[in-house]
Amino acid sequence: MEFEEYASARGQELVRLGFTISGDYQRAEDLAQIALMQAFRSWRKVQRADDPHLYVRRILINSYLSMTRRRSFTEAPAADLDTDRTVPDPATDIVNSDDLWRALATLSARERVVLVLRYYQDLDDRTIADLLGIKPSSVRATASRALAALRKTRQSHRVDERLS
Amino acid sequence: MSKTELETVLELEDGLRATFERAAASVPLAADLAGRATAGAQNAQRRTWLASGTAAAAVAVIAAIGFSLHSSSQSDPQPAASNPTPAVSNASAPAATAQTVTGSWRPVRLNGFTALKTARPEDPIITFNADGTWIGSDGCNALSGTYSIGQRGEFTSKSNGQRLVGCENVPHTAVLLATTRITSDKTNLTFFAGDGREVARYARAR
Repeated sequence: MEFEEYASARGQELVRLGFTISGDYQRAEDLAQIALMQAFRSWRKVQRADDPHLYVRRILINSYLSMTRRRSFTEAPAADLDTDRTVPDPATDIVNSDDLWRALATLSARERVVLVLRYYQDLDDRTIADLLGIKPSSVRATASRALAALRKTRQSHRVDERLS
Repeated sequence: MSKTELETVLELEDGLRATFERAAASVPLAADLAGRATAGAQNAQRRTWLASGTAAAAVAVIAAIGFSLHSSSQSDPQPAASNPTPAVSNASAPAATAQTVTGSWRPVRLNGFTALKTARPEDPIITFNADGTWIGSDGCNALSGTYSIGQRGEFTSKSNGQRLVGCENVPHTAVLLATTRITSDKTNLTFFAGDGREVARYARAR
């Protein structure tokens, strides 16, 4: 498969993956583009991989995790935003309507990535472990911790809703 | 884990699947990802080449200075063949013949053209055929024409014209049209203008 063929067929899937792990559409597009650029530069190597799409997804996930480790990632802009001029974000609807999506934002980047790979990409723990360069037992522990945190967050939201 | 807890976990897992599916479905279609990724990668590669080219040029300058200092410290004059200036060394190369130029050549240096290493859709190679025709690519467009070589390397050529598609086109045609004399050994081909200045140098393509 040639690069253009792959990018046309799978590019949008990469943007979707980027969105589910980051919750930010602009960042999702950036991540997809970074992953495709890196894949393009070593396309022969990607082609030789057992699963080229998994290889490119690995690039995307690792790029995102590297990004989240940078200090600038968590820095908030100091200036006030002009709300009349902000670009509409497709994530707004889902944020407003889905408490689980909101709860995902409270997880660490790695926890969220594990849940996305498990429940959106339907990858088994061994493949996730290989993709993240960690042990399968660490994947299970991370997923378990993340699920517990989500349950707790949802319960507290429900209590808040009942009280209000 | 109790039955209620298990049901809660399963409900949460189903909820996560549904949430991720809805989130993914809400993502608008990204335009021309392949084109943007390709262009981005090529720009990055160009910057790398530029940096390595600058470093190579710096090394070459230092080497040339070192060589000239070494040469000036010796009493005996150096033979012309050992002079690092390529125009001089190739001027003494044997005159090209139709036999020695036949084959494919890739540009190594073109006078006044600095974008040789830019990534292009096609290899910018030129091929001289034994029947007096030449064909090639400037990196984006197919080129062709005819040529003739005299007994002392006198060179003339004609171009069949080309369809211009925008890229950093390697100006093979301009090189051939500016050339009046050509020298070659087994691996190098050097083109000279009427005033004796080197126009371009090509190496045999594998």
